[in-house]
Amino acid sequence: MKFLNTLLFCGFAFVGTAQISESLVPKDAVSVFTINNINLFQKISLDELISYEFMEEIQQELFDGSTAGKTIKDTGFDFNQKFNVFFGSGDDFEISGFTFGVENKELLFEVFDDFEKVESDYPGIEFYTSYFNQIAIKGTSGILYRVTPNDRLINETTDSIWYANGNEYPWFNDYNYYFEEEIEAVEQFPDEMETENNTSNPIENDELPIADENPIEKNYYECRDSVEVVFQQKFLKQFNDELFLQGDNLLTSDQRFADQLKKNVEGNFYIDNSKIMRRNYDFNYMRTIYPSLYNDVTQLYSSSVIVGDLVINDNSIEMHMDTKYGDQLGSIYEKLTDTKFDKNFFKYIHQDNKGFFTYKVNLRAAYEQAYDVILPILERESENSTDISMSLLTMEFMDEFLNKDAIFDTYKGGMFGSFNGIQKVKTKKVIFEYDEDTFEYTEEIVEAEEDMPIFTLGFSTDRSDLLERFVNRITKISSSWKQEGNYISIENGMLNAAPLFLIVKNGLFIVTNDSDLAMNHSNGYGGNSIDKKTQKTVLKSGVLYAYSDLGKAMEGLPRNLFSERENNIIDVTRGKTGSLEFSSTQTSTNNTSFNLTYNFEGEYDASSTYILDLINSLYVITK
Amino acid sequence: MKSNFLLAVIVFLIGCSGCIEIVDDLSLKQDGSGTFKYSINLSSSKVKVNSLLALDSLDGKKVPSIEEIETKMNEVVAQLKTMEGISNVHAETNFNDFIFKLECDFESVSHLQQAIKTVVNYEAKTTIPELSNHWLEFEDNTLVRSIPRITLQKTKDLKKEDSELLKTGVYTSITRFENEVASFTNLTAKKSKNNKAVMLRTDPYSLTQNPSLLDNTISIVNTP
Repeated sequence: MKFLNTLLFCGFAFVGTAQISESLVPKDAVSVFTINNINLFQKISLDELISYEFMEEIQQELFDGSTAGKTIKDTGFDFNQKFNVFFGSGDDFEISGFTFGVENKELLFEVFDDFEKVESDYPGIEFYTSYFNQIAIKGTSGILYRVTPNDRLINETTDSIWYANGNEYPWFNDYNYYFEEEIEAVEQFPDEMETENNTSNPIENDELPIADENPIEKNYYECRDSVEVVFQQKFLKQFNDELFLQGDNLLTSDQRFADQLKKNVEGNFYIDNSKIMRRNYDFNYMRTIYPSLYNDVTQLYSSSVIVGDLVINDNSIEMHMDTKYGDQLGSIYEKLTDTKFDKNFFKYIHQDNKGFFTYKVNLRAAYEQAYDVILPILERESENSTDISMSLLTMEFMDEFLNKDAIFDTYKGGMFGSFNGIQKVKTKKVIFEYDEDTFEYTEEIVEAEEDMPIFTLGFSTDRSDLLERFVNRITKISSSWKQEGNYISIENGMLNAAPLFLIVKNGLFIVTNDSDLAMNHSNGYGGNSIDKKTQKTVLKSGVLYAYSDLGKAMEGLPRNLFSERENNIIDVTRGKTGSLEFSSTQTSTNNTSFNLTYNFEGEYDASSTYILDLINSLYVITK
Repeated sequence: MKSNFLLAVIVFLIGCSGCIEIVDDLSLKQDGSGTFKYSINLSSSKVKVNSLLALDSLDGKKVPSIEEIETKMNEVVAQLKTMEGISNVHAETNFNDFIFKLECDFESVSHLQQAIKTVVNYEAKTTIPELSNHWLEFEDNTLVRSIPRITLQKTKDLKKEDSELLKTGVYTSITRFENEVASFTNLTAKKSKNNKAVMLRTDPYSLTQNPSLLDNTISIVNTP
């Protein structure tokens, strides 16, 4: 399940002797987003808040009208406590929710009106429940949470019970499920019947379990539901015991989280990369088949966390992010970023660009280091597995036989990209020409123009000769590739409608749809390239630098050229003016820092909305 | 799901509706039989169409792939071939310029109407009430034609920016006869110089707002 893994707000951190909300953040949390200065958010309406995508998976049935016309101020939250949204997962279950300070319980349960109080087995804790969601209140702090057993465990257990009872493969009849024609059925409810949409866990009609001939015997879906409920209760108890009886929480179990919360900033975030890696489904196979290899690999990521702060200034909003990792992983990252910046990039970035990025890595050094780190792990595992032994053998032979010089000299790892806005490009279209005598029509091809984003991507290379050889050959084979002196044009290379250009010069391999760059500036823009001051800023940055003039870059981007997900990310900057700058520090064995700065002119009176937009983008990126 | 394909295609076409050109071309013989041609030309939005085809979904609806569009066209052709009174069905797809054409012969306009109704209802996986009305009738040398109001129903919830895009498209309706046209009722219609064809043009947006724009009653000269 993809519940929350980034997220939201909270109160100023003056805490005194009262219960603090952050002490209810569970120790299994993978990502926590804390906003300290909740006063910024008092004016935001709850309806606006729950319209964000990152909120949509948080128990939507809470907000079934009980939020109408209310702001966060009306929720009964204690604005002197932090608000922490968390997502977490262990091997067997996922947790999600948020913790908050409680000032007025009556107001709180006007908003969370679906919850009913239940008996508590935990001294000093009040429990309220609504379907699978729980609210627990301890003193003046509360936590709203959901514990969900993971599908892998439920499926494995259900299958085990199903087959042990002598049943057949449950999906044997699925051919018809997929190929039968869909039959539309409209159910009529009598007017007096009250219905409520199940918005939190909608069920498709075709997923409903089919009743068996014997009503006492459970079908596969019913069996699975039972298994899920049993596990849900088991893990909920485990969660409650740990948090409320044993007092285990993230604040006490991870000093890095505790240190982060001490900072006097508007917001913090904490993401445990080692746990994110473990919940990656790609690793399920490895976990099952090669458990010790899985442990070795996850060990590489132990100590790997990302912590960050959000700071609001008069004319800027800054996000500082520290990625921390262990020695072995750090040694790879250190080698990866141990390289010089290719100053030729600057020649091809126009001073009037709408946005650009540069990226410098040393792939060769990183490969060698990764080889040295991973080889011993595989050697250990190869004693127990012929598969890993064969993989190791393949890896060693490839390392010996492949021409690494040619590979890594051709693509060294450094690259840049620039966006020069939306321009009209020449295309061709077909029109119907009508004969006035008969209205018979014929097709005619005519010149046309269409809007297109103009971009340039360039890569550092020490083997221009190889690329030139490749281009020479392909222009002889394909009629759509043409050598045009200083550049190569590919007819309809861009979206099968407009030309794409290749330039191999100055130790760079450049791909662009900017005809002006290809035809008139194949050696660079000269005096019209980005200024020296910007160049110095880029050179000071570490592995990555990016800049975007929001007003110019984002407004012109046509929505249709991007997916819904990409548009959600871009939307964070739409409608805003100013500039966005992303830079990094030099990478050390245990740390790399990144900074994102949003500079705006004049007073920005909706910084809270901006932060929520930013959080939403983080959520969309990471979910 | 199959039933969503028609909706997906509609969303897709609306997505590229910036410069969509649609031509419906009806040639009618004196005995009531004839040929029907339907063309959709998206060539002036090639950049947009190609970028849309690269997407998984648009406005929450799956974007059909080229293979799916081709399969669906073949399916429609195969289905039309089985329809009573319909023959010589064939389709052309040009995925370089994004031009799609469908053509068939019919024994009478009622056969054509029934065939279109059956295919559209089948693809929509439901009965579309707007298709039940007669939108083609030929009797006593007079053709009464209109377009089904279904388009209005499908497009009334369009976003403002999509509506603006629809305004830049073109919908052309041509009706041809063996005999000369005596008169027609739609004042915006135009007669060909040989007097045997009538053309009506509008933009898709206006059509969604007022489907009767293409309504026309055409009388032809009765020659022995």
